[in-house]
Amino acid sequence: MTELYAIILFLFVLFFLLGTGVWVGLALMGVAWVGMELFTTRPVGDTMITTIWASSSSWTLTALPLFIWMGEILYRTRLSEDMFKGLSPWLARLPGGLVHTNIVSCTVFAAVSGSSAATLTTVGKMSIPELRARNYPEKMVIGTLAGAATLGLMIPPSLALIVYGVTVNESITKLFFAGVFPGLVLAAMFMTYVAISSYTSRDWNPTVERGMSFSEKLANSRFLMPVFALITVVIGSMYLGFATATEAAAIGVIGALVLALFQGSLTWHSFRTSLMGATRTSAMIALILAGAAFLKLSMGFTGLPRALADGISAMELSRFQLLMALLVFYIVLGMFLDGISSVVLTMAVVEPMVRSAGIDLIWFGIFVVVVVEMAQITPPIGFNLFVLQGMTDHEMGYITKAALPMFAIMVLMVFVLIWFPEIATWLPDNLRNRPS
Amino acid sequence: MRIIRRTLDFLYLASGVLAALCLIAILCLIVAQMIARWTGEIFPGAPDYAGYAMAAASFLAFANALNHGAHIRVSVLLNAVPSRPKKLLEIWCFALAAAIAWYFTYYAYWFVYWSWKFNEVSQGQDASLLWIPQSVMVLGGGLLALALTDNLVHVLLKGEHRIVRDTVESHGE
Repeated sequence: MTELYAIILFLFVLFFLLGTGVWVGLALMGVAWVGMELFTTRPVGDTMITTIWASSSSWTLTALPLFIWMGEILYRTRLSEDMFKGLSPWLARLPGGLVHTNIVSCTVFAAVSGSSAATLTTVGKMSIPELRARNYPEKMVIGTLAGAATLGLMIPPSLALIVYGVTVNESITKLFFAGVFPGLVLAAMFMTYVAISSYTSRDWNPTVERGMSFSEKLANSRFLMPVFALITVVIGSMYLGFATATEAAAIGVIGALVLALFQGSLTWHSFRTSLMGATRTSAMIALILAGAAFLKLSMGFTGLPRALADGISAMELSRFQLLMALLVFYIVLGMFLDGISSVVLTMAVVEPMVRSAGIDLIWFGIFVVVVVEMAQITPPIGFNLFVLQGMTDHEMGYITKAALPMFAIMVLMVFVLIWFPEIATWLPDNLRNRPS
Repeated sequence: MRIIRRTLDFLYLASGVLAALCLIAILCLIVAQMIARWTGEIFPGAPDYAGYAMAAASFLAFANALNHGAHIRVSVLLNAVPSRPKKLLEIWCFALAAAIAWYFTYYAYWFVYWSWKFNEVSQGQDASLLWIPQSVMVLGGGLLALALTDNLVHVLLKGEHRIVRDTVESHGE
């Protein structure tokens, strides 16, 4: 019985520290300390340092700052203009018109950036004013942007998948490729929604684009060639087994620098700000990971993960029921925590549960990313909503309503993933042999 | 007072720049290793060195990231309460965070001390003396603790912390 009280106390401290606004990484360290003091007689401080050192000096982790840096460099290039100019002629004649540029640009930028906020700002700073000028319904413009930007975390490279892979010890390359098709399917679902609502919506009355000849279209999209080349090299080198995820990230950084150089947007200032931005963002994630590594150890001593895993298997929940329970759990958690924090915070408990239920951890990574991404567009802590609020000056309520259909589509995507798990597992199972 | 302020700000900036250089070092190490592999050479210990650089890039940037508002926290409650309880809440957060960071630094110091005393050597191919890369934990942890204490004192004296959030750079998610 005292065991139970100790666990309740432990969980209370966890929610109390996080809830009062202590920085996530440090809060996790504090909670882990409480857990160690309650449940073990080990020397807590020394165990903490050993664990944190082992987790922060890992070679796998180096993919993280490099991919962040690559996104930061590209964010500071002319890429957003080029993408709009290059993609819009091809998409103008589809039902739904230029709203599709939002989704396709997000998909393209997601393939060079691992973050959904970076995707959102890069695409939005160009497409919001352009689409407004053409009289597209505001709700549609904002909603699709909020939804499609979440592809940044699905389509490789993805920061959330790196963090997940490091936390549960799975191959990051496999996780990356698991995200490719689900990301594309999700993008296609967004586009279908746009096409349908262009017929049903009453305030759909955009300026019609003037038709362009094929050669004109080609001429307009020549600027896109470098980006596609970069995507091909980064993803191709991983797929063909020439490079690990970390090495692909290094290739990506160099490619992005070369691209920026040829575009003339590589100045000392842009280089410095991109580097400092990447350093800070990766330090932020590293602090959370350091705290999470210690918490995972401490959590193991509390016996909570084991007990929960046993409890779940004793309840004989079906795989579907377990996933539904986790879906609700992550949506609720995501209302208060950002995606990366909720992944690392819960994995210590969820991983044994999912493993004992016989769920493929690669597939589960994609499931978790879709679910935490839904949280990015739900209040009160939807990160994408904040970014959009800063960009458009709309009220939070308005943006939330605009993003609601996208949320529904993502819920549908979760079920598609459950019914057709092959979408996520086929590609990683058919990878070429990678260098060790 | 002014000199202390300047020294502290310089320390935060310098450690941030040092961390950024470590990030560049990671890039160079990985590229060198790749080139070595493609040309049939071996670059022994490159993954270990990259790991050390990763730790250095993270730990040294903690304080800098804090002052630029990069570290994530749950701000629902902080944004909801009026200014008086908010100040108390901020004091609680900074005090507790500083305590955790100082605790970390203290044990990191002893960890590195024993590593140095026993000449502990890495198990990997690099066979480097472990206290050298490990000391970034003391340095970075200490700077983070210092920055948190600095902010705590500032909240207590002036009523406001010194974190300036840069929204353009918040690309964490």
